[in-house]
Amino acid sequence: MNTDLPQTITRIAEIIINTLQLEDVTPQTFDPDLDLVDEVGIDSMDLATIALVLRDEYGIRIDEDDYPKLTTVQIIAEYINTKLTSGE
Amino acid sequence: MIVPAREYKFSEIIADPVIRERWNKVRRYFFLRESTYDMSNRCNIRCEGCYYFAGEKQFAEENRDPAAWRQLLEAEKARGITFVVLAGAEPSLVPELCEVCHGVIPLGAIASNGLHRLPPGIDYRIHLSVWGNDRTSLAIRKAPDMLVRQMANYQNDPRAVWVYTFTPVNIDEAREVTEILAKGGLQITFNMFSSPVGYKGPLRHTPQTLAKTAQVMTELLAEFPETVLFSPYNILTHTRPHGLHELFSCSYPRMNQATDIGLGRTFRQYRTNLQWDREAACCVPDTDCDDCRHYAAGSAVVTARMYRHATDPLTFSAWLDYVDTYLAVWVKGYAKGPNLCETPVIPPPNQ
Repeated sequence: MNTDLPQTITRIAEIIINTLQLEDVTPQTFDPDLDLVDEVGIDSMDLATIALVLRDEYGIRIDEDDYPKLTTVQIIAEYINTKLTSGE
Repeated sequence: MIVPAREYKFSEIIADPVIRERWNKVRRYFFLRESTYDMSNRCNIRCEGCYYFAGEKQFAEENRDPAAWRQLLEAEKARGITFVVLAGAEPSLVPELCEVCHGVIPLGAIASNGLHRLPPGIDYRIHLSVWGNDRTSLAIRKAPDMLVRQMANYQNDPRAVWVYTFTPVNIDEAREVTEILAKGGLQITFNMFSSPVGYKGPLRHTPQTLAKTAQVMTELLAEFPETVLFSPYNILTHTRPHGLHELFSCSYPRMNQATDIGLGRTFRQYRTNLQWDREAACCVPDTDCDDCRHYAAGSAVVTARMYRHATDPLTFSAWLDYVDTYLAVWVKGYAKGPNLCETPVIPPPNQ
């Protein structure tokens, strides 16, 4: 299984916006290369919450050890795609 | 132990109104970012097995300049720290520095032996250490009438919570102490003695004393639900044969090389000279990580492992109880709710 990357990016941005209740940004205007920790202010508990929503949405498991790698929406989307492609 | 029949979606788990309410209650505190600070290199008592007087940090020069402390705390606030833990050796010996910290970062907790009352303006949670009844305290801490004096100093003080450290020699005394505190309308939580590095003395727990401690904790939690701030999952995770690091993979910098996010990125443990060392940074430095069952460690380490607990309603409820307990113990004004999970659940393994 593979997903359409731009569509995945938009959906992840939407999940982040909803989870963090961000204002003044939409899934379409969310910069996928923004650093989620340095520029958006996400911490590990936020990321764990987002990971659970992504698990529900895509049926993938996100290893706790992988959190540090998931620094942008773009990277998360590629991570999800890789997991779906490999069938993990 | 109950093994879940299937893996649930997170949305299914939090669809339960009771779980959802507790989830929404605890997640409001996800903004807490902790660091800890040794306030003084002095203490007015000397306890056997004290972590502060193990290792190098006890030799750090003491900085007593309020301006230097204010500058440090303002820098801490600027880098995102929202919660301070003021600890070793005895913060109540430098109340003026504690006031400086409180003036900059208003959320925090102080670990104290309670023999000096901290000024009421320092509106942090105050953890008062108790290591058994006053006979045992005299033997191990070389201080008479500790509980009596702590209660005189902190009666009717909503900042205070007593922290009973279970050692192999004081397990049976926890009831006596809990009863005394219950009569005074006070609160207690439980800690496990965790050996400092190299400690070979009689306070190190054995499988037998861990099991006995779990039994006593369970009885006291059932009998004194208004007094004891703890949960069945707290009991289970802190009395396992394996320490917290082996169970949950400790997320403090000392055991966690990742600096991208979480405690590995933000946590620092400052010594009295206002310096910190990443290699030694954890909530209770110089503890033997293999023997660490410390309540402060668990508050961060178990809480951080939310993802692995979101497998089914029961396991997630156990985690919520743990976090609810942690917040009630550490955040002044946070009221603990009833425990949601009375059933022993297996701590989800490291991946």
